[in-house]
Amino acid sequence: MLRLLATIRKEWLLLIRDRGGLALLFLMPLVLITVMALIEDAPFRDYQELKFDVLTVDNDHGRLARYIKEGLEHSGQFTLVDSLDGKPVTQEDAVRLVNAGDYKICILIPKGATAAIVSNANRIVNDLSKRMGLPAVQPVKSRNDSLNVLIYFDPAAKKAFKSAIHQALDNFLTQIETDLLLERIKLQLHSKEADAADTFAIQLKAVGLQEQVTGPTKQINMVYNSVQHNVPAWSIFAMFFIVIPIAGNMIREREDGSLLRMKLIPGSYLALLAGKMLFFVSICVVQFYLMTLVGIYLMPLLHLPRLVLGHSYLPVFVIALCISLAATAYGILVGTLFKTPNQALSFGAISIVILSAIGGIWVPLEVMPPAMQFIGHLTPLNWGLEAINDLYLRNGGFAQIMGNAGKLMILCLVMLYLAARVEKGRMS
Amino acid sequence: MITVKNLHKTYPGALEPSLSGLSFSFPKGRIAGLLGPTGAGKTTTISILCGLVRADSGDAQIFDLHQDVHHRESIKKMIGIVPQQIALFPQLSALENLTYFGNLYGLKGKPLRTKIEDYLQRFGLEKNGKKEVYKFSGGMKRRTNIIAALLHNPQLLILDEPTAGVDVQSRNMILQFLREYNQQQGVSILYTSHLLEEAQSLCEEVAIIDQGRLVMQGQPLQLIQQHPECRNLEEVFLHHTGLAVRD
Repeated sequence: MLRLLATIRKEWLLLIRDRGGLALLFLMPLVLITVMALIEDAPFRDYQELKFDVLTVDNDHGRLARYIKEGLEHSGQFTLVDSLDGKPVTQEDAVRLVNAGDYKICILIPKGATAAIVSNANRIVNDLSKRMGLPAVQPVKSRNDSLNVLIYFDPAAKKAFKSAIHQALDNFLTQIETDLLLERIKLQLHSKEADAADTFAIQLKAVGLQEQVTGPTKQINMVYNSVQHNVPAWSIFAMFFIVIPIAGNMIREREDGSLLRMKLIPGSYLALLAGKMLFFVSICVVQFYLMTLVGIYLMPLLHLPRLVLGHSYLPVFVIALCISLAATAYGILVGTLFKTPNQALSFGAISIVILSAIGGIWVPLEVMPPAMQFIGHLTPLNWGLEAINDLYLRNGGFAQIMGNAGKLMILCLVMLYLAARVEKGRMS
Repeated sequence: MITVKNLHKTYPGALEPSLSGLSFSFPKGRIAGLLGPTGAGKTTTISILCGLVRADSGDAQIFDLHQDVHHRESIKKMIGIVPQQIALFPQLSALENLTYFGNLYGLKGKPLRTKIEDYLQRFGLEKNGKKEVYKFSGGMKRRTNIIAALLHNPQLLILDEPTAGVDVQSRNMILQFLREYNQQQGVSILYTSHLLEEAQSLCEEVAIIDQGRLVMQGQPLQLIQQHPECRNLEEVFLHHTGLAVRD
């Protein structure tokens, strides 16, 4: 125990004497997550909180146009622009402006669109009436060719954005067609005049849609935003960057001969290594919670969303510990494998950057090609991030993180074993 | 005290063996010198004796204990080693370094503190105990390096080039200490050096090795007398190891 405590104290003294190292460990990660959250805020807001200006060309002036406009405005994500410089937007203007990228989208409602829907509803009602032996009294237009609501997208618009708009407009069209049809049916039934006190009403929405939580708690409306991604993601990145001070520390000890002296002293070197590990694991955990505090308290001051932690605090600590152990073991392996600080520091830093890129730290894994997603799922940084997302976003608990925590622990043991083999090989 | 029998060692990838059947023996309680040119195998021999490197074959014994996996820890407890390198943490003060290494030996509290202060005073470092080691002169570093090997009261002190690169005053202090330490505490000392004059004045017995083999062994004066053409140990040494520069 004395050896362990003495080693922790020694590491602490070495750390506080190294101002640059202290800044690298604590200040730089805080700056990193803040900058990354700010930079990535806009792309994350893209389809969630940002408002888009939508050019609308209303050649219909009917119910359909009104319905679409109300629907888009109600969603809160769109601001409708139907006039420019006091003049109604024309189709030509709209196409030009969207193509130039000044607007992301233009919706053109053709003339006679509402009339066409009404006529179609009347035709169905008449047809039903005939089959029921009633007179077909609703007026129907003779014209039968279909009309389309036209959509123009900025050529640079993303596919997901286009798809979302398509779906929204399709819903509006279906809704208005249904509403008009029901209205006409009601009208037809009332024209037969059954009873003055008739309270007949058509309730079409027998089955509704309601979002439910998947986890054990009641957290809903959780939006995966820039802070929610960047704070845990870059925290893990910074924790793995502990490889730099650990590897540097180990190689320095080898170079200045202090490692030699430690090995000459009776007692297990493992106790000294455990002391070193315990110290750096503690540093990693402190880093993690400092960055979490930044997510909770600093981000809102920068007009960013506040980090939401979920409800499982102990599992969060456990996964932070597992990430720290894996990161520290990686540092020990790198420090053992390489002989010079230049080799170790370059390899350590570049390998962490690569692992973070493929592990979904920079951008969520879901947006990557399938092959990269597969590789990404093999990286320890992704295991850590997935586990934290399970806790923060999916309201998970111990059961949800056991898999990833286990993988991190196994990796930690494998890396320590490899480091021990290399060290033993050197001795023999 | 120290017995080495037919030691062989070739490092992986090395073209030449470092030790080729080296054998020698030094009695207990003496100051013994292991001398040889660069690459003779001195550091490898010391590393095997300390248990840092495994010999390919042969036997090394310290106080009748074979240097093997069963006795490695017991031997470590009995020996104090002053490596050629300054095996200290440069960012820590002398006091912090010595406290840490003392703790690793299981020493703590006031007894350790007192011991460290005594040694710092003995080696003229009492005013610099709280100064970081990287701020020390070469001589101060060497002296602190020696103190770190003495904290646990070893029965055998092994010093690998303990006076390399130090000023005359520091060297004089170190050699004087070693003599007194040997006489007063009865501690055996095994010492390597390139400075033959120093070895001649300090050691009661020396072994000269070259190319991993023993060339000769005996008391310095005896060895000089065996070579009438040589006036001192350095000339005896050159007589046997040659004038060619070693890499």
